[in-house]
Amino acid sequence: MQSWRRKALWLALLASWLLVLLRVFPLLRLAVPARPWAGAPQGWPRWLDAELLQSFSRAGELPEDDPQPPHAPRGGGHCDWGACFNVSKCRGGGLKVFVSPVAGPISDTQRGILASIESSSYHSVSPDEACLLLLLGPEAPAGECSPVPQQWNGGKNQLVLSLHPALCPQTFPPGQAMVAKASPAVDTFRPGFDVALPLLPEAHPLRGGAPGQLRQHSPHPGVPLLALAEERGGWRVAGADSPACPWDGRCEQNRGPEQTPLGATLPNATFCIIPGHRPEALHFFQALQAGCIPVLLSPRWELPFSEVIDWTKAAIVADKRLPFQVLAALQEMPPTRVLALRQQTQFLWDAYFSSVEKVIHTTLEIIQDRIFGASAHPSLLWNSPPGALLALPTFSTSPSDFPFYHLQRGSRPVGGFSALIWVGAPGQPPLKLIQAVAGSQHCAQILVLWSSEKPLPPRWPKTTVPLTVLAGQRKVSDRFFPHRAISTDAILSLDAHSSLTTSEVDFAFGVWQSFPERMVGFLTWSHFWDEAQGGWGYTAERANEFSMVLTSAAFYHRYYHTLFTHSLPKVLRTLADEAPTCVDVLMNFLVAAVTKLPPIKVPYGKQHPEARPPLVRIQAPGASEQQPPAQDCINQMAAEFGYMPLVSSRLRLDPVLFKDPVSVLRKKYRSLEKP
Amino acid sequence: MCASVKYNIRGPALIPRMKTKHRIYYITLFSIVLLGLIATGMFQFWPHSIESSSDWNVEKRSVRDVPVVRLPADSPIPERGDLSCRMHTCFDVYRCGFNPKNKIKVYIYSLKKYVDDFGVPVSNTISREYNELLMAISDSDYYTDDINRACLFVPSIDVLNQNTLRIKETAQALAQLSRWDRGTNHLLFNMLPGGPPDYNTALDVPRDRALLAGGGFSTWTYRQGYDVSIPVYSPLSAEVDLPEKGPGPRRYFLLSSQMAVHPEYREDLEAIQAKHGESVLVLDKCTNLSEGVLSVRKRCREHQVYDYPQVLQEATFCVVLRGARLGQAVLSDVLRAGCVPVVIADSYILPFSEVLDWKRASVVVPEEKMSDVYSILQSIPQRQIEEMQRQARWFWEAYFQSIKAIALATLQIINDRIYPYAALSYEEWNDPPNVKWGSVSNPLFLPLIPPQSQGFTAIVLTYDRVESLFRVITEVSKVPSLSKLLVVWNNQNKNPPEDSLWPKIRVPLKVVRTAENKLSNRFFPYDEIETEAVLAIDDDIIMLTSDELQFGYEVWREFPDRLVGYPGRLHLWDHEMSKWKYESEWTNEVSMVLTGAAFYHKYFNYLYTYKMPGDIKNWVDAHMNCEDIAMNFLVANVTGKAVIKVTPRKKFKCPECTAIDGLSLDQTHMVERSECINKFASVFGTMPLKVVEHRADPVLYKDDFPEKLKSFPNIGSL
Repeated sequence: MQSWRRKALWLALLASWLLVLLRVFPLLRLAVPARPWAGAPQGWPRWLDAELLQSFSRAGELPEDDPQPPHAPRGGGHCDWGACFNVSKCRGGGLKVFVSPVAGPISDTQRGILASIESSSYHSVSPDEACLLLLLGPEAPAGECSPVPQQWNGGKNQLVLSLHPALCPQTFPPGQAMVAKASPAVDTFRPGFDVALPLLPEAHPLRGGAPGQLRQHSPHPGVPLLALAEERGGWRVAGADSPACPWDGRCEQNRGPEQTPLGATLPNATFCIIPGHRPEALHFFQALQAGCIPVLLSPRWELPFSEVIDWTKAAIVADKRLPFQVLAALQEMPPTRVLALRQQTQFLWDAYFSSVEKVIHTTLEIIQDRIFGASAHPSLLWNSPPGALLALPTFSTSPSDFPFYHLQRGSRPVGGFSALIWVGAPGQPPLKLIQAVAGSQHCAQILVLWSSEKPLPPRWPKTTVPLTVLAGQRKVSDRFFPHRAISTDAILSLDAHSSLTTSEVDFAFGVWQSFPERMVGFLTWSHFWDEAQGGWGYTAERANEFSMVLTSAAFYHRYYHTLFTHSLPKVLRTLADEAPTCVDVLMNFLVAAVTKLPPIKVPYGKQHPEARPPLVRIQAPGASEQQPPAQDCINQMAAEFGYMPLVSSRLRLDPVLFKDPVSVLRKKYRSLEKP
Repeated sequence: MCASVKYNIRGPALIPRMKTKHRIYYITLFSIVLLGLIATGMFQFWPHSIESSSDWNVEKRSVRDVPVVRLPADSPIPERGDLSCRMHTCFDVYRCGFNPKNKIKVYIYSLKKYVDDFGVPVSNTISREYNELLMAISDSDYYTDDINRACLFVPSIDVLNQNTLRIKETAQALAQLSRWDRGTNHLLFNMLPGGPPDYNTALDVPRDRALLAGGGFSTWTYRQGYDVSIPVYSPLSAEVDLPEKGPGPRRYFLLSSQMAVHPEYREDLEAIQAKHGESVLVLDKCTNLSEGVLSVRKRCREHQVYDYPQVLQEATFCVVLRGARLGQAVLSDVLRAGCVPVVIADSYILPFSEVLDWKRASVVVPEEKMSDVYSILQSIPQRQIEEMQRQARWFWEAYFQSIKAIALATLQIINDRIYPYAALSYEEWNDPPNVKWGSVSNPLFLPLIPPQSQGFTAIVLTYDRVESLFRVITEVSKVPSLSKLLVVWNNQNKNPPEDSLWPKIRVPLKVVRTAENKLSNRFFPYDEIETEAVLAIDDDIIMLTSDELQFGYEVWREFPDRLVGYPGRLHLWDHEMSKWKYESEWTNEVSMVLTGAAFYHKYFNYLYTYKMPGDIKNWVDAHMNCEDIAMNFLVANVTGKAVIKVTPRKKFKCPECTAIDGLSLDQTHMVERSECINKFASVFGTMPLKVVEHRADPVLYKDDFPEKLKSFPNIGSL
């Protein structure tokens, strides 16, 4: 009994001490640091009467703002789009540009700008129908600073464009004129009104232009991490292990021995550090071309086309006052980000900067987007391949309608395909072909483009899908017109004499769905460099590689019709009309220039006798003298594009079990294998 | 706890002594118990009495009890706002310093009540919204209570509404803040700037270099890249419960719901209504409401009464017209209703325009063009309108719906400027969750065909089959584009053969020894891999010809973002079992390639090793299976693209080995592989694999063409 009691007492004692210790212990611990309850910061207090606090706007006040009359745009050098641009002049037809005549001698760059505007769809021949007057700013060093031009009108609806920073100070205030100039200072730049241009080197190509230097996606191992822009124009390469303050000249003693000479070639590094003052804008341009991620230290100039280009995807704008932090961030940047930034520099370079023409067209496209308002390019179109110059908002403002953005949008091409059969001069209705194509389960409609002088046949075969006959204009380029009747994303372009089986069509369409931005064709040509002629040539001979597919039997996205008709220079379309074989070459040029990838070949069952060499298509023997030799159109196109866009492929996509030693019954596309 | 244990140990020694003195013992014991209880009770309340300024005390305070600060009439006033301020000129970035989390630290001054010489308060101490705003900051990751570590200071002086404060005195109050220093790194929140008659578009309180988060900036007052444009909070957001209404055509095409519209604009609106009839609705203030009805919540058209904001959900487009101020709270209501705002306010800087793409959610119409509004809106295709409706609602949900959302978005924008390399991307700011979920951003998005000269690195994973390994090495070394061979020696119990025993080949051969026999060693991003292209090959794949391997490399060059492999496999949905099934039969489709022989970009090694979702990597290592399926899932998920199977089907079986394909025939193996697919699909939360019906062959494969003229003649031979 006693022992029980003792035990109980003992327990009570223990418990009481435990309690005491438990309370004291945390207190002892807290007594050590100066601030009590260090772990949890004291937040903003929870007021007892928080519920009783008044709202910042009394109930009536917020919506009951005093009304105020419309006001005239304020002066004082301030201009924005709404106030200083008269959109009503641009009604219909979008942006039309008239170039004000240049007083005095005209420089090479100016000539280039003029040419690129004249060849574009923006060009207007009279100042009355134009909604934008373009004034070329002073360029040549010797040229005198131009006085206020005629038709100035306070600068309203005018764009003063100077590709090189004016050497003479601005002689007249821009007023209501928009200023597009290279690397404008952030202090004078009017966002949403002025346009920031890149600072171009003297000898920038007018057209085409060199592609970006990046030949592989990921940085090559062993490539230095940093290159630093030198004041005199060169680049200094710093290894990853170099000290942490390699700029500002603060660590002069640590200068590495590797120093590229003055004005040397492009930097070969992962990051290019560029100080913020203005002459360095040229460094920025070089870094972009080289695929070296520009790291701009507190730039005092506006980044080119900053209104539409999301530079955070391609460059890093950092604070020059935090060198250690920037360096640490660069060293620790995850590979995924580095990969993305590098690729974006190359995409932007190719899309907007590689030639004077692209820079000019981008400038005008930005202004046109402002005019379009809600139907302008969405940001995605500006900032992902192939870029806004090749994705026309007049086609659609919904990215899913284009062939390029299905991945980003998680969408798929809509519908089956529309077979577009072009019937040329012989005027034979392609009955067999219609049957074969209509047999495909994916065929949504058949369109016959009757371009023959012969009268339309009275009767067409009965098909399960709707058949529409369109009257063509007997021009070859007409077959790539964006006919309203086309209702699906996919077009199967056919000639009257093409011959395909249903199975071939089905398989090819399946392939196209995997590659909606490319052309998927059956017959191929390849181009080559002809040393003897010193020019490009192309051949229909079967070879181990190809770079073009014939549009007499090919799947492609209907967007290319819009692009063909509305974005190609008229010269090229005329060329194609004059020499009909060229139309295939031209379409392949166009698609390759957009995708930068080769077309895709699918198997063609039997070797059809119609698989003619390209020259056969020139029918009239007498006409051949007036026509340029067809072989030459490839060179004219290459000249007009400024480069050779075609890319070769060495593969063909076959059905998975194609000619495999397995029972034919297992094969879905067995008829493709018939000899 | 430690102490009590010690006590316990000492216990037994005490007991005998106490036995003799019962009485004293009891008394002592009770006194100790009592003492313990008293001590406990005392400690319970002690902290309260010793910490006068801690939150224990503050919790119980009222706003009316905050300390009063008297501002002398001649105390300094800050300069007016400096219009040329930019982050790199006016912001002291050194305060933000290095920070591994890339988060700025924000300090909030404690609340004071400011009075002038006559004891008249300078302003309302604090409004409900500003209190909420400071509370949101204080609850966020940005908050610090250490003024010395802070990079951004938020005064507790409430300037949300300029009409409720005295300008000069408020400025004086700002100037006497302990770290004011010309306003450097100070952030002021203001939603209703200006006052009658001219209504400035930015807060009139002189604030020197302080950043201003303002509602209703115009292009003339907004310092691009320095100030932050914020919305005017609509109290209705919290007061009214408005269930979401999906996009689609609505009863009215265009609606104007604002009450205080200038007569000139109202005329324009009425004209539009007259012209287009039913589809346009122009509402006004109600004049004949009965007592007790909140006039803010009603709108009228002639004698018809409409509930506000519910009526906004009946319209496709809603006019947001400039009042005296540019920023209008109605914008928030309109967005919430999924109505596309038609902003008619020249020079207005839309909220968060630095990061939000308003083109996706609104239509901006110049005031001059007001009469054309209808035709401008009609030119927008229906699909785009629905997209805009969705976007508008999402903007409200993410950045408008509460004071907290507004405060955090503002801080995030400033944070993004200070740590630009950790900034949120355009997509993160603008894409609604459903788009973010459905979209794929291919890490290798640039269309690029890598030069052939680069070649590829072959990686052979081996355990102990030396003879077979040597044959593989010899075969692979015949491929012209091979630039390096890496053997991953996965056997820890046995050393690799002597250097002299290895086959002599023309390219560098490196042996990497691993620490553990894991399947994932095959996909480790070894420093030795210098080329972009990697050929993963098993040590028993000896049946691939040099032509086939070289052709595989050529195919990879055309599809550098895909897995390009030889044996193809398929996943199928088993309707009976309602789960995925693995298929290795002769099928017309493929969705995977085995990595026993496959080309891929080396970046995927990095992804596999460091970014594989969930526990897949450990699962593969534990089961010693399915590393190839995991790789197929990973690549398909990140690129959204299908694999490319190269060349005809072969029997992938070598005479002397029984692994991989020998096992593949095994039924249990098939079950296990099916299980892998189901497991991975559940970890990824989706089935990323894409099924295709095509494979890649050389252009002239099996064509009627002289064999010796073909680039890759030796393909498909068994």
